[in-house]
Order: sequence, then C-alpha cells, then structure tokens
Amino acid sequence: MKVLFKEVHELFLATQFTGFMSQTMSRLSLYEYANIFFKHLTWLENDFIKRGEDYTYSVEQVPIKVTHISHMYSDIIKRIDSIESKLDRCEDRDITFRMLSDLTYIKSVIAHLPEESVEYAFNTKREYPNVELTDEARDALTIFLFEETYKEYELIMVYNYSKAHSSNAFLNRIFQVLVDESFFHLRSFGQMMADMGILGVPRSIMEEVYKFDNLEKFLKDGIQEEIGAKEECKRLAEAVSSSSEYFASFFTFINNQENYHIALMQEALEHISPK
Amino acid sequence: MNADAQLMEHMMNPQNYGEIENSDATGIGKNPLNGEKVVIYLKVKEGDDPIIEDIKFQAIGCTTTIVAGSIITSEAKGVTFSRAEELIAITLGMLDNVPPEDAACSEMVALALKAAMDTYLARQKDSDFPMISYKITTDCTPKGEMDNESTI
Repeated sequence: MKVLFKEVHELFLATQFTGFMSQTMSRLSLYEYANIFFKHLTWLENDFIKRGEDYTYSVEQVPIKVTHISHMYSDIIKRIDSIESKLDRCEDRDITFRMLSDLTYIKSVIAHLPEESVEYAFNTKREYPNVELTDEARDALTIFLFEETYKEYELIMVYNYSKAHSSNAFLNRIFQVLVDESFFHLRSFGQMMADMGILGVPRSIMEEVYKFDNLEKFLKDGIQEEIGAKEECKRLAEAVSSSSEYFASFFTFINNQENYHIALMQEALEHISPK
Repeated sequence: MNADAQLMEHMMNPQNYGEIENSDATGIGKNPLNGEKVVIYLKVKEGDDPIIEDIKFQAIGCTTTIVAGSIITSEAKGVTFSRAEELIAITLGMLDNVPPEDAACSEMVALALKAAMDTYLARQKDSDFPMISYKITTDCTPKGEMDNESTI
C-alpha cells in the first residue's frame, strides 16, 4: 500500500509537470488529470489514517527532461500500468474501483494527445517570450522561480497533511483554500519556468516539514514566511518593472494575494488560540 | 548567485537528492539561526579507508543549498573517506571567499557529510551510536536584512 501511495504521488507530479511543458490545449487536460491523481492520493491517505497506519510523502526523483511530450505520455502510461497492478494492495474496494475507472479512462485519452516538441522548456535560455529582461531581472526571476515553485508544492502537501489530520471543519476550510491557492501559484510559476527554459524536477519534501507537532507555531512561522514572500514579490516587481509591465503587474498581483493567505492563517490562528 | 550553464543544470536537476533506505549512516548539518538543515545518507563499503558507495541528501533550505548539495555529493560519490575529508576541508577553506549566504549553504552540506562519515565511524565501535549533527558557524543572513530576519 505504501508503494502504491508513493507511485500515485509520483504520477501526480509527472502529470502536473508535463502540464507545464505543454503549449497546447493538452495542458488543461493534464492539469485536470493531475487534480484527479491528487484526489486519489488523498483517498489513499484517508485510508491510511482510518487504519491508523503511518505514511510519508517521500517520492523518488521524477525525471521530466524530454525532447517530446510523447515521452512523458509514455512515462505516465507506464506509471498508470504499474499503479493498476498494485490496486489490490488497498483493501477499500470502493476506492480502488473509482481509481481504476479514472485511470483506465485517462490512460486512453493521454495515449491520443497530440505530439509537441518541448525542448524549449529545458534549453536554459532564460528568456521570456516578448519580454526584454535585464541581467539583474533575469537572475532575480530565475532564483525566485526555483525557490517558489518548490515552496508552493511544499505548501500544497503541508496544508493537505494538516487537513487530512484535522476533523475541525473551520480549519479544514482554510487548509483547503490554501491548498487551492498554492496550486494556482505552483501552476503560474511552473509555466513561467517552462517558458524560460528552466523547468526543474520536483523535489521530495522532508517528513518533518509536514509532520509538525505544533500547529500554532506552524501558523505563526507560516505568516512570517508569507510576509517574506510578499517582500520578495515586491522586490521582484521592482526589478522587472523596467523590463516588463506584464511581469511587474503579475508580481504585484501575487504580492497582494499573499495578504489573503496571511489573513486566512491569522483566522486559523485565532480559531485555535483565541485572544 | 550567478547562474551559468552548470549551475542551471544542478538547479533544474539536482543530483543525489532524496533518501537512501537502509543507509549505513546519516548526518546533519544545521543552521541554528534559521532552522535550515541538510541531511546526508551514506551507503558505505567497509575497509581500512571506507568508500562512499552511494550518497544522497535532503534539505530544508534555499536553492543555493540544493546546488551545493548536488555538487558536493556528486564529488563525494565513489571516493574514500580520506578523499571525502579532503573535499570537506577544501569546501570549508573556501568559505571566506564567497558571500555569507552562499558560504552558509556550502558549510551546511560539508558538515552534513562530515557528520554522516563520523556517525559511520562511531558506529563501527558502538552500533547504537546516535546520528551526529553539526551546527554551522557562518551566518547566512545577508547584511542589511539582519534586522528584518524572522522566517524559519
């Protein structure tokens, strides 16, 4: 069951990051399928919790550097085949029936998605289409995207773990909104990485990052991190403003979104430790 | 950090990132000021001068730490402990010549490697010896941000 869980997690990552590479309508399908695989992950996770079994979010490195998107489609189909062969390791037949139905359909669709050359996503040119970046802006944007793409994936998993282990409806609403927000940011930054030719492989998250003992401390630290992220967005908006009005307004938008995340975490904090 | 082609490769595809199940030893390099840390896992071939057969690392840290981990573990893979000690000494010796934020990341990786090797050697005498953790001495906070630093 633990191997099955890990493989579903890796399938989610492979599909999500393939979505970043696509420059056609296939991207939308891949995002939807990534959502479905993530949902499968949460079903299996819930089964672990119900049975009182420990689990982790550890994954192997998921290779994504390919010249054509069909290589990733073949990889995804192989991953699905492997998962299908292990579904009997989950004793909850309702879960595995639903998973098998989804996997069978998705596999058949992915096999027919159109071919695309995706070398651009890994060419390390660090140029953005139709934007003249100064060297300073290019370096700042590069570092930001590497830091934040990983961070958003980490946040998705941290909030998801917190949600899975909480039966408090008020907190769970907040955790779910934060998961959704982090997905939006991950996708925005992942697409930008691909556009700049610097799409990197997703990295596994250390267990202690999501298995924390103290929710109050986690939220307080999280608020400070969001404040730090806001500052970073502000700095970045300034660094790229002379190069691109689009980027400047995008990072101002992201900066302002962090205010909402901070408000949500403060709400959660007040809920668990009212003044 | 200026990004050249080699650095970009380490950023996009960090080498040796992850865990080794049933590793022979692990070690930690830690920044006590901000909670960042690097864990190194070793698979070792026994001998008078043991050989690092396999090495992996994980980190709670920034991109520079990941790049340093990728470079240092690539250098350490397949070498003897004596050679790895030299590698650690060279890395620690260069810290004065790089910006503090980059120095702290490299120091954390080098100390994690040292901690893993020292843990391995200590366990040859006492199999229950606990995992060793070393703290870095470099402060990675860039000047000018000292007063504002608050994140973990």
